[in-house]
Amino acid sequence: MIGSFRKKGLAAASAVIAVAGLALTSVPAQASEPGVTANSVKLGITVPMTGIAAPGYSKVAPAAKAYFDYVNANGGINGRKIQLVIEDDRYLPQEAVIKTNKLILRDKVFAIVGALGTANNLAVNSKVRLGARGVPSLFVNTGFSGFADKRKYPTLFPLFSTYAMEAKIMGNYIKENFAGKKIGLIVQNDDFGVDALKGFAAAGVKFDETIKYVSGTQSPATALTWVQKLVAAKIEVVYLFGVTTATAAAVGVAAQAGYKPQWIFGSVGADATTIQTATTVPVALLNGAISASFMPDAADTTDEYVKFFREVNTQYNKGVTFDNNVLAGMNGAMMVANAIKAAGPNLTRKGLMAAIESKGATFPSAGLVPLAYSSTSRVGYTGYWIGKYNATGSLLPIEAKNVVYTTDSGNGPVVKTTSKRPALPPKGLPQ
Amino acid sequence: MKRTFKAIAVGFTSAALVALSLVVVPTAANANPVCATVGGIKSCQGKTSDGAAYVLQAPLNFNGTAFLYSKGYRYPISIPGVWDVAASSVAEQVPGSNATIKTQVATALLSKGYGLFSSAYTKAGWNADGAVKTNVELVGIWKKEFPNTKKIVAWGESQGGFITQALAENYPTLVDAAVPLCMVGGSVEAALKMAGDALWGTKVFFDPTIKAGGYSAGTAGVVEQLTDIGKIAAALTSLSGAIATGAWPATATAVPAAIKAVVPSRSAVTLIGQMAGLPNVSANIDGVSGPGDPASLPHAQFVLGAAPAIATLQNLQDAAILGVLIIADLEGINGGRVYDNTKTDYEAQLGDAKAIYNLALSGNDAADALLGVLKAAPRDTANPAALTKLRAMLSHKGVINVPTVAMTAPFESTTPGGHLQWLINSNKANLDKAKTAAVAAIRAGKPRPSTVNNLMVIWNFPPDKYTTFTSAGLPDTSKPAANGTKHCNYTVAQLTAMAELGAIAAITGKVPNAANARILMRKAGGLSFDRDFEAPLLKFYAIE
Repeated sequence: MIGSFRKKGLAAASAVIAVAGLALTSVPAQASEPGVTANSVKLGITVPMTGIAAPGYSKVAPAAKAYFDYVNANGGINGRKIQLVIEDDRYLPQEAVIKTNKLILRDKVFAIVGALGTANNLAVNSKVRLGARGVPSLFVNTGFSGFADKRKYPTLFPLFSTYAMEAKIMGNYIKENFAGKKIGLIVQNDDFGVDALKGFAAAGVKFDETIKYVSGTQSPATALTWVQKLVAAKIEVVYLFGVTTATAAAVGVAAQAGYKPQWIFGSVGADATTIQTATTVPVALLNGAISASFMPDAADTTDEYVKFFREVNTQYNKGVTFDNNVLAGMNGAMMVANAIKAAGPNLTRKGLMAAIESKGATFPSAGLVPLAYSSTSRVGYTGYWIGKYNATGSLLPIEAKNVVYTTDSGNGPVVKTTSKRPALPPKGLPQ
Repeated sequence: MKRTFKAIAVGFTSAALVALSLVVVPTAANANPVCATVGGIKSCQGKTSDGAAYVLQAPLNFNGTAFLYSKGYRYPISIPGVWDVAASSVAEQVPGSNATIKTQVATALLSKGYGLFSSAYTKAGWNADGAVKTNVELVGIWKKEFPNTKKIVAWGESQGGFITQALAENYPTLVDAAVPLCMVGGSVEAALKMAGDALWGTKVFFDPTIKAGGYSAGTAGVVEQLTDIGKIAAALTSLSGAIATGAWPATATAVPAAIKAVVPSRSAVTLIGQMAGLPNVSANIDGVSGPGDPASLPHAQFVLGAAPAIATLQNLQDAAILGVLIIADLEGINGGRVYDNTKTDYEAQLGDAKAIYNLALSGNDAADALLGVLKAAPRDTANPAALTKLRAMLSHKGVINVPTVAMTAPFESTTPGGHLQWLINSNKANLDKAKTAAVAAIRAGKPRPSTVNNLMVIWNFPPDKYTTFTSAGLPDTSKPAANGTKHCNYTVAQLTAMAELGAIAAITGKVPNAANARILMRKAGGLSFDRDFEAPLLKFYAIE
């Protein structure tokens, strides 16, 4: 009996070992997770470092790297130093595809972080097939609402409040504050614009004149045709929901023509430093324009996150002027650091994504609106605050500070709320 | 020593060719082959029982490993100035996009002691069912003629890659390894759909008089096909000259004037390419290069606005003409119309491309207007009986029964990586099932089924940048196609490296290890062994 029992036991033991062996081949152990070693984790980012979108956007990745350098100087995360490989995609979808493939295949990165631009992210997800490969793409720098579709983009986590949310919130604002005025809209004729139109429709706002432009065609000459249409239609309030070069072209041409509507700019298209560096249009022309944001203004040194990131910028990003792009880069990096910390010492791609789903809504970050990550939601920030530009290009709250509006990308209500942002963690490090 | 070896190799080339011309082809099918030995090469010719001409060749120092080559789709009709159908009845011994490459590959392999054999198949056009049967018989003929054969490697290009995979799936005891190159994967219907969608889009947007299906039998049908090809060539030539202006060909009569007034023709070209699933890079267009200052708006406008259309035009030339020929061919085989797009949702097929190529498509409104033209156009309906027959034709099971080393250029014009990706996905699903079964078997104390991955995939990527510009700032389309673009456009070094990998697989009974493969690939250049790369699936597999 004993012999028989022992034999069975041995057989069972070898079966367990064999099964364990199989399990090991299908579930990678820590050592085999791409980009992760006992003392490092390698991440990749594609951004326009050169090309037409480089002014402004080229600051995002170095800013993220500066924050990671700061984290590394303070011991890293769970004993791992963060390496960030930066690839220049020139804001071209095909270049983003090539560079993302390189990050995954050549550099063996653990995750893509902060990839910038709606078209680039769409191209990468359809041609590099991040979802099928299980490669996380964290906190992309775009507000396209479609990226919150977990079924279609299973490894992608948006961060920005969406364009649809922005349009709905601002649509409500327009209805409440500009009733009876003639309203015009200049909007990009792509998914960015589709998101905006969806939000405006949800808000029930109607425009007296809608002008669509194709991204890449904006110029002073094109803007002149817009202004002529707006003037002819006697438009008093113009909402420009486009990119910064479109904003610059429109306000520049309008100023020359003596056309002075109440401008409202989408959050994407009114970065003062980009206007300053990439165009010949004076920032002062933004003065009095209304816009929305989910982040504190980069010039607001009373904000503890802004103050902290400015210090990091001084020490680890030497010679770079702190602006909204630097703030966005560092804030995205802080979110990544939070996620890596939350995933625990046994760092896996699946674990990382699960950590964001379970804990991401409480991650501390500079955003002034709540995060909405959960097991069923990939939505990041969920709202905006509304402000007015001053003559130096700073966006100052129209209402009391910290009053934000939250909503969704569908037909949900816009709710005015006093947001309580998580406090800056000790030393600005993930806890 | 090296010089001597080289001299011998050169000798093999000419000797082999002379030997072939000296051999008298037997007139009766299935008769014994007629052989001659010249310059150290024994060359034999004959016909299989189904009448397919074949060639066998081995050096006197034959090392025991022979390559059975299956050639690709050869046009079943002559196209004046392009293709002589008489060339379809030639047994091609090795892969290669032209005669020079073929000669060099054959020379290289013969000089290393390998045997080479192949058949011309019984007919041109799509003939996978027949070719597999021919190949089965041919393996027996080879072994009878060269009884010291130890290993057989099946390899083939395009349709030949399909045949190779089918042979390995269905006759794993006949071949020891498989090397499908630029393969058609899954079924001929997948290739038919891509070419058919491209052809149908060309017809709707640029010349509704293109027949694009329902071809007559016999000579009348040939005339119809040639007429269609002429119309396609005329439309594409007109469009090539109108990239900058956006002018539409005079034959674009199905597109409302209101649309033509505001949407440039290049946007319709781009839309055809994207909805059909053609690659966005081509022989001379890398998708990232532009003229002038890279930080300038005109540079970005070229890359985002014009380059996708030019790349599509280059790829469309291959796809639309193949569409005519393969539709006619498959209609003839199956007795009626086989291309059917009555249920095709072209907007779904366009998918994210609408945002990715937004400037090339001239914005969402323009893309929607063009999709509206497609929606309003009459669709092609297949003959149900013919379609049933088409679907009963030989198709792949997606199983890997012998060590297989596959290579494809993911962005090539005719059989892009989506074909091979289908096989990869199928193999992965099978392996996952096998692993689950193995766990269950071990737990039950039963023999554990194999969970070994016998598929190695090698990708032939084009260089990141290869577009050059003329002094006028226009892309130079006179340059040879970049490696990794066009159909089966491989170098001699790449093809011989694939042969070596196939031989290793056959001799060892398993796919080569990654380190050895990388050494060979590095020497060949332009090849990448990346387990993580996934090519976009064909619309046939991704949508339907």
